[in-house]
Amino acid sequence: MFVLEAPQESGTAVPEQVPARRPARRRLLRRAVPYLYLAPALSLLVLWTYRPLAQAFELSTLSWNLLPTSPMRSVGAANYQRLLELPSFSGSIWRTVVLIVGLLPFTVLLPVLIAFASRRVSARARTAYQAFAFAPFLVAPVAAAAVWRWLLHPGSGAVDRVLGTDRNWVYDAKAAPWVIIAITGWHLLGFAMLVVWAGLAGISNDYDEAARVDGAGPRQICRWITLPLLSPTLLFLVLTTVLLSPTLTFPLIDSMTQGGPAQATTNIYYLLWDYAFHSFDAGLSAAAGVLLFVGFGVVAGALVWISEKVAFHDD
Amino acid sequence: MMIDRLRVLGSHVLLIVTAVVCVFPIYWLFATALRRPEDVTSLSPVPWPMSLANYGDAAHKVDIAGLVANTFFVAALSTVGQLLVALLASYAFAMYTFPLQRLLYLAFVGTWLVPFQVTMLPNYILLNRMGLVDSLVGVVFPTLCSALALLLLRQHMSAFPKELVAAAKIDGRSSWSILWTVVVPNLRPALAALTIVLFINAWNEYFWPAVLLRRSNSVLQLGLRSFMGTEGEQWGPMMAVASLACLPVLVLYLLLQRQIVNAFVRSGLK
Repeated sequence: MFVLEAPQESGTAVPEQVPARRPARRRLLRRAVPYLYLAPALSLLVLWTYRPLAQAFELSTLSWNLLPTSPMRSVGAANYQRLLELPSFSGSIWRTVVLIVGLLPFTVLLPVLIAFASRRVSARARTAYQAFAFAPFLVAPVAAAAVWRWLLHPGSGAVDRVLGTDRNWVYDAKAAPWVIIAITGWHLLGFAMLVVWAGLAGISNDYDEAARVDGAGPRQICRWITLPLLSPTLLFLVLTTVLLSPTLTFPLIDSMTQGGPAQATTNIYYLLWDYAFHSFDAGLSAAAGVLLFVGFGVVAGALVWISEKVAFHDD
Repeated sequence: MMIDRLRVLGSHVLLIVTAVVCVFPIYWLFATALRRPEDVTSLSPVPWPMSLANYGDAAHKVDIAGLVANTFFVAALSTVGQLLVALLASYAFAMYTFPLQRLLYLAFVGTWLVPFQVTMLPNYILLNRMGLVDSLVGVVFPTLCSALALLLLRQHMSAFPKELVAAAKIDGRSSWSILWTVVVPNLRPALAALTIVLFINAWNEYFWPAVLLRRSNSVLQLGLRSFMGTEGEQWGPMMAVASLACLPVLVLYLLLQRQIVNAFVRSGLK
């Protein structure tokens, strides 16, 4: 906001009746133009992202039950202390790590395998396969939750009847986290496949040919040329997995398991919501949010660092 | 030769299995929705005889027309708003150089790192103070500044031929008129792709409506959830509502497959 105010103030402060100042005033106005174009986006950005981020820091030091009439008490770092002592918090962090690591086979490993396989088939067949695989990415997450709940319904669902079991996938504390991972993986697989494919398409054929002339086999080419050139794409996919997992898992958890059974599917994203809108503990939720933000920053920073240091760029 | 052929065959098998696993649940969703109520638990792969009875049943329990209308309203308003805001901002970034440009740009990119769960509570409190809790406008308002739209449009505008802009300037046109008469018409393909991506995202949005709207008869995604809570075992009507929640997006996809895929993959993130 501070950027916006400066040019406007100077624009009006210059008196109209001084003709000699005219060019200066016009120059100032012209300088203000880009800020005017930016003004709506910038004010929305401050209002809905950076102000709440700052307020989350503030809320995390308060004790408040979200009721406008009840008082907020400052408690310092007590929320953080309480949070770190809660077994449900450390448990949820661990489950979030399992979730993200469990998703990587779907978002990195399988897409790479499939993209390599799709190099061997004709362009037309490839387009058709990719079109089918991409479709789940566009299905509304809660509709996905609905149909998967139906498919996995104990007894009458298609999966149990085909397998001949009566397993209760969603209400089984051992199976439920894997159900969430598998459905999220199903959502993301086609998208990741296309990202890998786009990455492969961006790699020049010259390297392959040069290596082949030097006597390298297909496996060696893949290991020493294609994969290193693909590494920025793969790191991008890891980052996408981290960033998209809250968006995609929240509707599944909220409408399939509500975090259960026995908290088996309560990851950190769901726990924050639970603290805020079920326990009405604003301070605790905000403190967990701050820690999540810091964690996101560290993970993203590490990935960017890796991609600059380790990943191979084709300049 | 033999080994090559086997490799091609193996690739086809892998790709077919992947495609079937990806598409089967979507097919099953529509198949169940179209079965007769007494056939809902049938395992026959083709729903025959077909019936719309599940849709009628669902319409008795929830206001389907209202849900579709509300969802469309939210998605359309959010899309148009995001486009306008991002168009103006990306114009500033692409066509001008000004102090603090890099820093401001980074401020937009940085929003990727703020998980929405962190801003959720303060935003809820603010919307509550503005009296916008439980209103569709309240759902749209916080979505209006989209970093994705801004980054994509800036990219396209930076690649835009500067000579055209310079020529229009010499003609004495203002920057405002250059934006609408020179830049926007030439960006039409990019804008169309972006519109579709934003619309699909807004249509499928679940989190904000779930936080903000307490009435279950507000948008399709929430109507569906309430169905899962209260009518847990009524799979037929539930699949009928779920199919409506997916249908517009899937029809768009069938019609504009290539553009949608390109737009999503190029935009990288959601």
